[in-house]
Amino acid sequence: MQTRRKFDPNAPEVKALREEIRRGAFTREGIMVACPTCFPGGTVPIVHDESRITALDITPQGVIYGGTSGRQTHLFVANYHGVTGIVLDIGMPAGATRSVAVCCGAARLAAFVNGPRGGRAVGAPLASVSQDLIQEWGINRPAIQDLGECVPGEPVVHAVADESRSMAVGVTSQHLFTLDFASSKIQVAGEVAAAGRIALASNGGIYGRDGAGHLWRYDPKAGALRRQAAPLPAGAWDLPLVWARDRRNGLLFTADAQGQLFSFDEKRGFSGPLGRAPLAPVRPMAVTLDGRLFGFCGEEMAKMFCYDPASGEVSNLGVAASVLERRRYGYEFGDAVTGRDGELVFGEDDDGGHLWLYFPRIRA
Amino acid sequence: MLKTKVHRRDFLKSSAALAVPVTVGAAPADYAVKWYPFTGHPDSDTCWSLSVGPDGRIYAAACAEGVPGGVVKPVRYNEQRDDLDYLFDLGEKVEDPGDSGRATQCKIHYSFVPSMADGILYMATHLSGPPFDLPSYSPWYFWPDPKRCFRGAALLAFDTRKDQVAWWDTLIPKEGCRCLLHDEDRRLLYALSYPRDHFFIYDLKTRQRRDIGRIGSINAQTLFLDKKHRVWTTNDYGHLVRYTPEKDRLEISPQILPHNPVHQTGWHSVFYDVAPSPDRECVYAVTWSPNPYMMRIWPNEGEWPRIEDLGPATQAARDLTFPMSMFQDHCGGLTFAGDGKLYYVASRWRDPVRNPLPGEHKDREGVVWRLDPATLRREEVTRLEHPMGFAHYVSRGAVDHNGDLFFGHVGSRPSGIFKVSMPANRKKKNAHLPIRMWG
Repeated sequence: MQTRRKFDPNAPEVKALREEIRRGAFTREGIMVACPTCFPGGTVPIVHDESRITALDITPQGVIYGGTSGRQTHLFVANYHGVTGIVLDIGMPAGATRSVAVCCGAARLAAFVNGPRGGRAVGAPLASVSQDLIQEWGINRPAIQDLGECVPGEPVVHAVADESRSMAVGVTSQHLFTLDFASSKIQVAGEVAAAGRIALASNGGIYGRDGAGHLWRYDPKAGALRRQAAPLPAGAWDLPLVWARDRRNGLLFTADAQGQLFSFDEKRGFSGPLGRAPLAPVRPMAVTLDGRLFGFCGEEMAKMFCYDPASGEVSNLGVAASVLERRRYGYEFGDAVTGRDGELVFGEDDDGGHLWLYFPRIRA
Repeated sequence: MLKTKVHRRDFLKSSAALAVPVTVGAAPADYAVKWYPFTGHPDSDTCWSLSVGPDGRIYAAACAEGVPGGVVKPVRYNEQRDDLDYLFDLGEKVEDPGDSGRATQCKIHYSFVPSMADGILYMATHLSGPPFDLPSYSPWYFWPDPKRCFRGAALLAFDTRKDQVAWWDTLIPKEGCRCLLHDEDRRLLYALSYPRDHFFIYDLKTRQRRDIGRIGSINAQTLFLDKKHRVWTTNDYGHLVRYTPEKDRLEISPQILPHNPVHQTGWHSVFYDVAPSPDRECVYAVTWSPNPYMMRIWPNEGEWPRIEDLGPATQAARDLTFPMSMFQDHCGGLTFAGDGKLYYVASRWRDPVRNPLPGEHKDREGVVWRLDPATLRREEVTRLEHPMGFAHYVSRGAVDHNGDLFFGHVGSRPSGIFKVSMPANRKKKNAHLPIRMWG
């Protein structure tokens, strides 16, 4: 038996250590708000084991769309601006158990789901939830339309809307495809083996990992796929890719399997390593309006991190905890988008999943 | 649909809300109280588990969570010596000693469960005690640290017939076990993990675990089993949570458990303690929340159970402008005794305005109540007396094979247990049977 240390509880170093352990565990800066998947006081949340939020997108007006995973997928729309404050369950695509992507077109929504019926696309009109939800309301539930399998026999891996929001570009396990929002027509655009998420880059190109050392590029306007369009920087690239996009300039951020962060610009290519997240793997990330990157990293009990391009520093912000709206710890997150005013929106990929709004600390 | 019958008015007539206790029937002197401190484990600062073993004897956990490197030692009441036997250092038995550098095997938290067929008492450990060289521990802070993170809840099988550890395993990696239940017919253990609040099933035949999923953020402190082998607990918002083996999923009840609607919403109305009725048709439960509520639940009736609101378990008159301390306002130790009545301990405290207790009372005291299931009236039968401090916080209670009551106590160092001898005319041999299968 090693000698047990005795601590003077009044010693400054002991106080400091206890304080670091206590305060350092949770949301060290900014404010987290866990919002239930319902109209609080008006509806019940999405069923507990059908509410793992794994896909998010947002319209230019700041209306959030999402998809869940679990025993059954649900699509939802959420709005927190004006006199709203609601997550509206749009419905359940038949036979689907996992949402992999939600894409907002100019007027319609496309969601990509997997399940026993294969990897399918479903569509719906963008819903209006901008009524006065303090006073009185009359909300219609938009109808979900099954658009069919994207590529027969292949699960969908991810999809994003193009810059014009006229089409979604997606990948299945083996193919690239497009979905035209207006006609709902799905077309195979090429053959690529998907390796994680894809992203819309600074010049309108859509990129995904191409083997162990490159990215492919798809030009939605020209309908052209270019293989090995950009080399990956030195790193451990053996996990599916994740991306975050700075909507001011289209700059992308990604991370390798060890948590090293990189940025990518279509003209300049990849940056060198920007820093390392406190833990690996890196999960969803989003960029706020001043360029700071926020994301989650680590298994089972993710910790939030921030990369600040101004200082070049990466900081550990701890486990997500919400004391507003709902008192809840947040452990696993599936997707993220940047909100209208620079708040970050994280989808909780957990039973009883919530939509988490993060308001970063204002830079002094 | 969930149905709620309110019998609160009758209940309150004899409740702790009264400033001066009402004694009905047997005089308090008939229930002799004796304190047994864990002097053999001076580090012990809490006793979160107390249960009757498959052998009819009383087992308790001498937990040591406040001291760096502290470990739990299970103890047993020795009726021949009228004293406690210290069974073993659990950290040593599961090869995770107090000086490992990790958070320690410091306590057993509502996690003694019997196995009647083979005389095994299963016990699972919980976390919170800091490593031997750190002043405090946070499972969130140290989760990714392999040198500091709790190794995991240890499951230990203690053979009460041979008086030896039969085997051990890790029940839940990296997390503590907040409460444990044994479905002996199916040889399954059920557990809630801390801090992630996941629902686990451990198959004793294969010694494999399955994670069924997360419930919320606030652990319920009890699971209970019904006749259909369904396992019940609660979520953060006071809804029942039910696991049905045939469905293999967690379902949540539409309505909320009884709470005080004046200042509460049902949030944090999670189970603290649940005792089965002797006929196994219903359970009596109390919540882990300030202003804890007592209720009777009929799990075998309807799609969702019928729930009877039995009202507040502790004194109702209180200052609603200030959050009540959960270390003061508490109810636990629910157990049926040989007289067919439910016994439990509820705290009572001096409030100069709302409950100015006479001078002979301590500022905080643990009142032993006797509830008649037929009338739902309760009577105060005695108070727990700690020789040096308060005795208002009781974790668990049990009746041994001689028919006497025992209560685990939290709030002194060393911690310990109380024995409350039952009056002869209310005592019965083997009053612990049928035995409670959860901690």
